[in-house]
Amino acid sequence: MNAVLTDEHRMIQAMVREFAARALAPIAAELDQRSRFPKEAVAEAAGLGLMGMMVPEEFGGSGMDVVAYVVAQEELARASAGFQTIVTVNNSLVCDPITRWGSEEQKRRYLPGLCSGERLGCYCLTEPQAGSDAMSLRTTGELRGGEWVLSGTKSFVTNGLEADLCIVYARTEQAAGARGISAFLVEKASPGVAVGKVEKKLGIRCSSTTELVFDGCRVPQENLLGGRGEGGRIALATLDGGRIGIAAQSLGIARACLEESAAYVGQRRQFGRPIAEFQATRWAIADMATRLEASRLLVHRAARMRGEGVPCSREAAMAKLFASETAMWCAHRAVQLFGGYGYVADYPVERYFRDAKITEIYEGTSEIQRLVIARSLLSRR
Amino acid sequence: MDIVVCFKQVVDPELPAKDFSLDGSTRRQVRSGRPLVISTYDENALEVALQLKDGSGAKVTALTIGPQATLGDSVRLALAMGSDEAVIVDDPAGPDLPGAVKARMLAAAIRKIGSCDLVLVGCESADWAERVVAPLLAEEMGAACVTFATRVEPSGGGLKVRRLADDGFHVIGAGTPAVISITSDETNRPRLPKVKDIVAAKRKPVHTWAPADLGSVEATPTGEGVTVRDVAVPQRTTQCEFLAGEPSEQAAALVAKLRALKLL
Repeated sequence: MNAVLTDEHRMIQAMVREFAARALAPIAAELDQRSRFPKEAVAEAAGLGLMGMMVPEEFGGSGMDVVAYVVAQEELARASAGFQTIVTVNNSLVCDPITRWGSEEQKRRYLPGLCSGERLGCYCLTEPQAGSDAMSLRTTGELRGGEWVLSGTKSFVTNGLEADLCIVYARTEQAAGARGISAFLVEKASPGVAVGKVEKKLGIRCSSTTELVFDGCRVPQENLLGGRGEGGRIALATLDGGRIGIAAQSLGIARACLEESAAYVGQRRQFGRPIAEFQATRWAIADMATRLEASRLLVHRAARMRGEGVPCSREAAMAKLFASETAMWCAHRAVQLFGGYGYVADYPVERYFRDAKITEIYEGTSEIQRLVIARSLLSRR
Repeated sequence: MDIVVCFKQVVDPELPAKDFSLDGSTRRQVRSGRPLVISTYDENALEVALQLKDGSGAKVTALTIGPQATLGDSVRLALAMGSDEAVIVDDPAGPDLPGAVKARMLAAAIRKIGSCDLVLVGCESADWAERVVAPLLAEEMGAACVTFATRVEPSGGGLKVRRLADDGFHVIGAGTPAVISITSDETNRPRLPKVKDIVAAKRKPVHTWAPADLGSVEATPTGEGVTVRDVAVPQRTTQCEFLAGEPSEQAAALVAKLRALKLL
């Protein structure tokens, strides 16, 4: 696999792996158990250039390509999927759309702080009744007195508790579906924005997931991201990148399952020998490794295409679908190999199992990924 | 201040034991196909140099002797961490040169670099651990030498150096030029390079010299100084014994066993 990575990619991989080993691995279990936001580690990651990896250097980012980004995300998720969630949202769902659709003024105003770690971003698309059917969102945006006024409730907002800047999608036009939606850059400290319910989650617990309630929140006109009615297109295109980030997270979780399992089965003895000597164990390890490699090829291909500006909705969906189901599959195998020890918090695989499940759900469920893939292959009916 | 940090590229000490092997014919560790990294204490030395640079604006040159073909990643890391430039003495035999020969080559390379107030090296390499390069290099350069230092800072016209000692640490003064060997402590943990510095590293100057460019480096009258007659991987066996009895009896038995093994 390294054959397709440049020297630069490999150096970034080594750096992030070392960062993850030093700053994340020792605290990952504690972060999970206490649902604690790792403020210091986020600041350190920002200092290394990991919070705005693909943002051009002139706006404070690292100016790297999408492959470097996914390589880094895999390493972060290997140590802490929750931490990687915080990072990938800031990169893929906040910095990336501002970089692609933001005005020069918006880029200068928002990107440096998001890259330096002074500010954190969140992405407000999903609503209580608009999950997979995101384009049916009901949050409204009305132009009143030269300002936009946003009202509605957003749910499952990652980083909702700690974020400073929100990208909010609201219905501003009469047109139904995607064409009626616009995107806004909203300061979370603005009057009319409140944090609602803070979710208690199965996994990725160190990243917060909240409701955000917009109640007559006034937003300056210059904070419209892209044009009026372009929000749906921006949201969907952003999700292509977001899916690649979650696919990379899935690689990290799957690799964690594989590496911990491979180490454990060599030590764990039953019936007078290490369980690694049993064929059932060897097959499980081999299958985990093979699926992981296949997933990585899909993820790196999608990343390369996105970096080259080639349409890649299908490839991103395939990568996310296959990698996330591989993460869950590997986590299932890992818990089974650990037996009773896989079911308790003394070993990390129970955390991997809980973390893996979300990859099949957020930024498009596996079912939605299949719809995206099928739609690209079949004529519309 | 002009600082030269000498580093050696070694087989990654974190290499899994199953991937470690020795070549009986050359009596050397097999390097081919193994991940190669900057030797551990040399990274600490680089960190000390970069802290001096952060504080006083020093110029840092990373210097290494070895095969250019394999050195790329390590040189680039040294530059990404913050070195201003790098010098490679392209000698395939470099990693296995005796310390005395290496010290003379380094001294010749440092003379060719030009201005140098301070040379920092790791206190020992992660493979051979001879611990001789710093004192021999100081001798070659006619420079002051401090070994097993952890912190270096400018002081007046010279340097204030904190070095490990049997009874704690000593703080001593040294004039320049000086050669200082560095060991690790909590203040010189190697920094991680930032993403943008990894990118910028490829734009920094790297000079590659052949050994012949250094002029003649004479062998010592006594030859190489060290002759390796054999190398072997130590065979380790482990056994587990459960001590029976009440906790107090187990404790007494444990103490008796540890005393018998001369571990207490």
